[in-house]
Amino acid sequence: MNVLSQLIVSGIAVGMIYGVIAFSYQLTFATSKTLNFGQGEALMLGALVGLTTINFLIGQALGTLWAYLLMLPIVFAFGLAQGAVVEWLGVRQAVKAKSEAGWIMATIALGIIFRNLAENIWGRDALRFPSPLPEAALTIGPVRIQPMEIAIVIGALAIMLAVEIFNRRSIFGKAVVATANDRDAAGLMGIDTRRVITFSYALSSMTAAFAGVLIAPVTLTGATMGAVLGLKAFAVAIIGGLSSGMGVIVGGLILGITETLTGYYISTGYKDVPGLVLLLLVLSLKPSGLFGRATIKKV
Amino acid sequence: MLEVNDLVAGYGKVKVLHGLSLHVEEGRLVTLIGSNGAGKTTTLRAISGMIVPESGTVRLGGEDLTGQPSFKITKKGLAHSPEGRRVFPTQSVKDNLLLGAFPRLTGARERGDVEGDLDRMFTLFPRLAERRAQLAGTLSGGEQQMLAMARALMLNPRVLLLDEPSMGLAPRLVAEVFATIARLKEQKITMLLVEQFAAAALEVADFGYVLENGRVAAKGPAEALRNDAAVRAAYLGHAH
Repeated sequence: MNVLSQLIVSGIAVGMIYGVIAFSYQLTFATSKTLNFGQGEALMLGALVGLTTINFLIGQALGTLWAYLLMLPIVFAFGLAQGAVVEWLGVRQAVKAKSEAGWIMATIALGIIFRNLAENIWGRDALRFPSPLPEAALTIGPVRIQPMEIAIVIGALAIMLAVEIFNRRSIFGKAVVATANDRDAAGLMGIDTRRVITFSYALSSMTAAFAGVLIAPVTLTGATMGAVLGLKAFAVAIIGGLSSGMGVIVGGLILGITETLTGYYISTGYKDVPGLVLLLLVLSLKPSGLFGRATIKKV
Repeated sequence: MLEVNDLVAGYGKVKVLHGLSLHVEEGRLVTLIGSNGAGKTTTLRAISGMIVPESGTVRLGGEDLTGQPSFKITKKGLAHSPEGRRVFPTQSVKDNLLLGAFPRLTGARERGDVEGDLDRMFTLFPRLAERRAQLAGTLSGGEQQMLAMARALMLNPRVLLLDEPSMGLAPRLVAEVFATIARLKEQKITMLLVEQFAAAALEVADFGYVLENGRVAAKGPAEALRNDAAVRAAYLGHAH
């Protein structure tokens, strides 16, 4: 029983990371019906830019926690810019040319370019990211938990909540939701929907970059860290439904927990299997996702 | 106020409008009538920038707006309540109205009294006041139509385009929609109204255009069109 609760707790942190990345997929899908297949690379770049920044700040005799907090706005700004670049170079041109699949290839290609770039700047080896919180695990009842794992859960919920509040409360957020509802009608309101789509790409990459610096202290940081995370979070986005905020949290947790359970009870070698089996099941039984609304594509 | 000259427009290779011209003077209510496929909706879409005209010009208050994207045209003060209402289903009634005032709330147009205009809309459409916190997707068809009109009015438009406001509504609600249009006319709001209920449209309008195959087949003061034998026979169902 103790082992089981320990495994579940460990699965929650990684599950929340999957959830946040899946949420970042949703942001661009809502407004543009396109996705950045280089989302894992946005996460990786965020983590590496964060690493360089935090090391520089620690070099300025700052404590790790302060350095981490001061690093965040720089990572956010970088993520925003990186997402806008992906939209400009990869998505806008392909969509303008009315190419149905062009943006898929373009975002995959950009992702590979970003990974190569990162390998050349930061090298091929995995690097250690300084942890802003003590690394000794806390013992709460029967389970042991790292402070950073708690920070991951809080940070993940905070960013999703912040985006939700922005969308509901500010007129610009309402414009984003209007664009997601009905792009032509949003244009009639005087909303520049092309700019809204660029913005949603920027926000999406910013969210992924934030996920990168959240997970970096508990994992290894490097040019290849994003690929698998991006793919698994994509599975979560499909499992949870591409339009449901609740869905990605639940989907992320399901995947995170099944992974740790499989790793312990079966074999770490099969850790990645249950999530993908779940993906295949959801796709065949409920293609709109567990929480998604069925949409019929009108031809 | 609104001047359309020799407009040619359509969808891809299919041309719907073949050189259409019309005028809407300030404070006037002008209606476009015609059978299905005559090009009424396409005319409004080409004016508001939802489609790019192939040739011809669209001028608002003398300024050439031809070919600009719809968000820019809206910022110039042209509001379009589109066919099928197109309210934002996952947003509240109030948020839909605020989105109608988007250019005013973001500095692209003079702000004026947005809160006061919200209250005016709730007075003009009391049903919307009761439902202000409800999601627009849960409204009835008639309520959505009221919302679409109110949302367009929130721009404080120089010209308001109304596309088939009576479409799909029960007869009682159709009468209500026309009563609202008559009230907006009293407030001297400049309007271009597209309607299938030609008789009712000509009853409320100052001036009318009859469209056939993407061209103006007849035009004149609404009263004259109402009494025109050919128009009556073709559109008003009074032939026999």
